[in-house]
Amino acid sequence: MSPARPRILIIEDDRKLAEALLSGIEPAGYDVTVAATAEEGFFLIHRAHPDLLILDLTLPHRNGLDILEQIRSEGTDVRVLILTSHNTVDDRVTGLRTGADDYLGKPFSFPELMARIDALLRRILPSPASPHVRIGDLTLDTKARTASRSGETLDLTVREFDLLLYLAENRGRTVSREMLARDVWRENSRFTPIDNVIDVQVARLRRKIDDPYPVKLLQTVRGVGFSLREPQP
Amino acid sequence: MPALSLRTRLTLWYVAVLALLLLLYAALVFAFQYGVLTRQVFHDEVQDVVTAEGLLYFDHEGALQLRQNYYSRPQSHLLVDRLMEVLDLSGRVLYQSPTLHGMVLGGRLKHGEGDAGFNGRIVRLEDGNHALIVSHIHTMDGVTMVIRLGYSLAPLHERMIQFLILLLVAIPVALLVAGAAGQTIAGRGLQPLEMMADRAEGITASNLHDRLQIDNPKDELGQMARAFNHLLERLDQAFHQMKRFTADAAHELRTPLASIRTVSEVALGQSPDVEQYREALASILEETGRLNETIDGLLLLARAEASQPGQERTLFSVRELIEEVLGVLSVLIEEKQITVVQENEFQANQCIRADRALLRIAVMNVLHNAVKFSPRNSVLSISSEHRNDKVRVAFQDQGPGIAPGEQERVFDRFFTSKRPAAVLGSGAGLGLSIARLIVDRSGGCIWFEPVQTGARCVIEIPFHSRTLPQN
Repeated sequence: MSPARPRILIIEDDRKLAEALLSGIEPAGYDVTVAATAEEGFFLIHRAHPDLLILDLTLPHRNGLDILEQIRSEGTDVRVLILTSHNTVDDRVTGLRTGADDYLGKPFSFPELMARIDALLRRILPSPASPHVRIGDLTLDTKARTASRSGETLDLTVREFDLLLYLAENRGRTVSREMLARDVWRENSRFTPIDNVIDVQVARLRRKIDDPYPVKLLQTVRGVGFSLREPQP
Repeated sequence: MPALSLRTRLTLWYVAVLALLLLLYAALVFAFQYGVLTRQVFHDEVQDVVTAEGLLYFDHEGALQLRQNYYSRPQSHLLVDRLMEVLDLSGRVLYQSPTLHGMVLGGRLKHGEGDAGFNGRIVRLEDGNHALIVSHIHTMDGVTMVIRLGYSLAPLHERMIQFLILLLVAIPVALLVAGAAGQTIAGRGLQPLEMMADRAEGITASNLHDRLQIDNPKDELGQMARAFNHLLERLDQAFHQMKRFTADAAHELRTPLASIRTVSEVALGQSPDVEQYREALASILEETGRLNETIDGLLLLARAEASQPGQERTLFSVRELIEEVLGVLSVLIEEKQITVVQENEFQANQCIRADRALLRIAVMNVLHNAVKFSPRNSVLSISSEHRNDKVRVAFQDQGPGIAPGEQERVFDRFFTSKRPAAVLGSGAGLGLSIARLIVDRSGGCIWFEPVQTGARCVIEIPFHSRTLPQN
């Protein structure tokens, strides 16, 4: 085991959620510790020097923002991802101003949390040296904005290409409808009935990139979302 | 300074104003009275001088005397308090009344004294008293003399001081009485206010329907009570709405919870089978999605409800907004091969002013409904027209339509139609309520118009006369 496994500290008072996070994040190659109170969290921040802090804002006795403020005033070098059920624009702005690196409203989808964690710890995925993204025999040219499979060019609309590109960038990972709504459709309000739109759009994309070929790349993970991956042999 | 009650303050003001007025009045009365009495004294002196003229005579020694023999009783002359002095034109004193006790009356002769008129004036005597004197020229037995006659002002001053004391004693008494009366009157006038306060104190969430009693709707207190009752009315309505809404919301949240619970319990009760577990978990996830959607909808409603007309408003083109929403929904429209027919009466750059993000949600909900209920290969027509300062956009589909009795009720929160055709794939039941709330808050109206086939939803928004600069 290499010592370079990034360390993540979760400060979350809800035991169930904390355990679920622990068992979900650890297998992805992280060293995860859980603290149930702010005090315990503080102690662990100073002893274990985590790379990423996943911080619940509503903790008993002490507000998560206080912890964040103190960490930032002490100059501790740790990335912070805030989790909260107070999910308004104002809360988001306050959180980010106080020094959080990212903000996720409860209930979040786990794939989204994983995507954020990966992004925060690797910061931004290094933009590929070549403009080509490959998944099996599917190739995307991000410069020319074209896609081909088995050498045949696919005729995609702008939206379909965006969708495919997003799935390709998150290949191997499940992408939730919320993520698609926000990142591909750029819908800021969560109450816009576009889940239908996403489902139909994915179905159309599948018809173009998967239906004519024997190996299916675009999977639907029921209740969770979609993922683009090469099927395990 | 401690805060005084309104009643006391009113009384104090009233008493202060009254005191000022009474003092002014007393001063005026006093001055007037003094003037009148002084004039009376002057008048009497003039009369007296004329009488005294006839009583003067030179005795055998050539000294000027005043006849005393007309008194009916010898001691009567003691009652006479007139001061009199007679001088000849050289200033020599010819006669001095005994009441002067040797003091001079008026001093040296002045030029023309007593010649014309009587020269009424006030002089100071040696004993410190003041006297009002008149002078008169009189010729007797070839001798021209100046008669000076006066009365001491001391008795007048004494009486005036008595009068002043009377006034000064009477004023505080009057003020005390007025203050007491004022306090009582103010108390009585303010009594309805106290009753109102008591009544208002007793109004809580459980009896918001209670109202204040209005005795006279036209007076100030009546107006206040009316305003207060209006406030209560609005609070009552809002409170009722909230109560009903909370109950509805709890119900709506329970339904997915029940399904989650049942699915989990059934799955755990069965023999372990990965495929079935997977199925159960996916179903649970879908239900949490529904829960989440309902909660988001509720939050959005709260946000729209809190928004006031005039807040966060931007100018934007309705047509552009519709195009944008159609763009998002285009994949559904294509999939169902729906033909969208647009009839636009106004220019693309004509604008309305509203919260664009909210209105977009409203249009999205309405259009999404229309698309959802449109059958394959049907026509969805969107027509926009300009009517009396309003922009009116109608969305008409060829779907199952709305039952005649449900045209209003479809906007109710969590409303679901009883008609089976209309239920397919219905959402959280908040879409149209949100749309209505948003449109209302933008100063517009939204309604369903009865049509032969399908449903026709009309949104009317106040038009903004300005146009966006064309780029």
